[in-house]
Amino acid sequence: MTTLTYFPGCSAHGTSEEFDSTLKLVMKTLGVQLEELPDWNCCGATSAHVMTENLALALPLRNLVLAERLPHKTMGIACASCYSRMKATKAEMDAHPALAQKINSTIVEEGTYKGNVEVKSMLQFFYEDIGTGQIKAKVTYPLKGLKVACYYGCLLTRPQRITRFDSPEYPMSMDHIMEALGATATPFDFKTECCGASFSISNTEVVLSLSGILLEMARESGAHAIVVACPLCQSNLDMRQPDIEKKSGITYRIPVLYITQLMALAFGYPLKDLKPAKHIVPIEPALAHIGEEIESPQKTPKSKKAVEAESEVE
Amino acid sequence: MILLGQQIENHFLEEVNRKSGSNVLECYQCGKCVSTCPVSNYMDFPPREIMQMVKLGLKEETYMANSMWFCLTCAACSGRCPREIDIPRVMEAIRHLAIGENADPDNPRVKQIRKFHEIFLDMIKRYGRNYELRMMAEFNIRTRNLFKDMHLAPKALLKGKIPLGHERVGRTKAIQRMFRMAEKLEETK
Repeated sequence: MTTLTYFPGCSAHGTSEEFDSTLKLVMKTLGVQLEELPDWNCCGATSAHVMTENLALALPLRNLVLAERLPHKTMGIACASCYSRMKATKAEMDAHPALAQKINSTIVEEGTYKGNVEVKSMLQFFYEDIGTGQIKAKVTYPLKGLKVACYYGCLLTRPQRITRFDSPEYPMSMDHIMEALGATATPFDFKTECCGASFSISNTEVVLSLSGILLEMARESGAHAIVVACPLCQSNLDMRQPDIEKKSGITYRIPVLYITQLMALAFGYPLKDLKPAKHIVPIEPALAHIGEEIESPQKTPKSKKAVEAESEVE
Repeated sequence: MILLGQQIENHFLEEVNRKSGSNVLECYQCGKCVSTCPVSNYMDFPPREIMQMVKLGLKEETYMANSMWFCLTCAACSGRCPREIDIPRVMEAIRHLAIGENADPDNPRVKQIRKFHEIFLDMIKRYGRNYELRMMAEFNIRTRNLFKDMHLAPKALLKGKIPLGHERVGRTKAIQRMFRMAEKLEETK
């Protein structure tokens, strides 16, 4: 049985508790054990690297050093921001040993950084280590009929020289996982556009504008729901949605689900395990589409040009 | 930098290049970063212009811009930059230099952004972890805007979206020591 060092991140015990709880269910089904990193600390998120140079590296480094004490070779990170900071710090430390030594001097009590633990986002772990075939094999309740827009946000695939995972412009890993669950991934052009991130508190109107465009594009793609793997994307799109609707005058009511919530549902866990009450935009109306027949391509009215072309052939 | 055959000293450019690991002189002003940037319309100088200002050594003018405070580090620009300049790190280098020299653009939005980050770091220093509800409350108190987002509170709290309790790292002393040491490193460089 694989065991993963698990880094939940601060929001897993706060606003994204349903990400944490459904992740644990999904891993149980997939036969992966999670060992939470003992005494982990905040990675510093946006604030540390905005304001300081050394602290921005020291905070993630402490977690990397703590992870090296455990026997597992991979640390799986739930939050996209934590993942980005940890992965960037690791890249910096591995490339510049002198800098690593300097930063390590702030946490000497915890140990010396060796660089032998791999850092992966949970999306990356599902896609690379488990694989869509394995995921498909565990599905007992196919999500047929549900159309989802897969939203990756900035940090899961960018910057590519650090993440080395999927495409920075048009990633498909989450789309493939959704297809494995039986759902339909809609063509969503704003997959990796920014939601406004931490401006949620300090510059709310930026978030209302950026997240508003995302909701509009998701709706235009025909999605019933948006799927995410980042707690900040989730809270910006879900918690701020009523404000966005008020500002734009458009009613979206598009629920925003974590990838693990839909995986848990497809693996046969009951709806209540998804903690639907945590969502500001109710998830039930979107999930009611499961089981619906998907319109076959023939049903869609043909364009004038296509009809003309056919009559010419005849 | 050599301009019209004359050697011109541009310490600002050198510092930004050293800190960011990029060469800003490589920028040929195509503007791809501006069209990519999701927040360029909030910036008083979009990324392309900031690059040019650094090239020209306009330090004070650059420090007074709000651009590097609005950069969300989404890295969309650097992925598309034909000269492969790490623009978010250039923005970061300018920001760190400006903080180091106590340059503060007198801009209410920049003040809000800075306040948020300061409270966030304060939270980590105290508990080792971040606690969202308390952070939002402190932000409202310290920016004297008590009722900001209050309309979200009943729903968020009733639904358990934001829990009331919070946790801390077992060895908060280790975290505080790290903060002290990192601050010292910051001073020495």
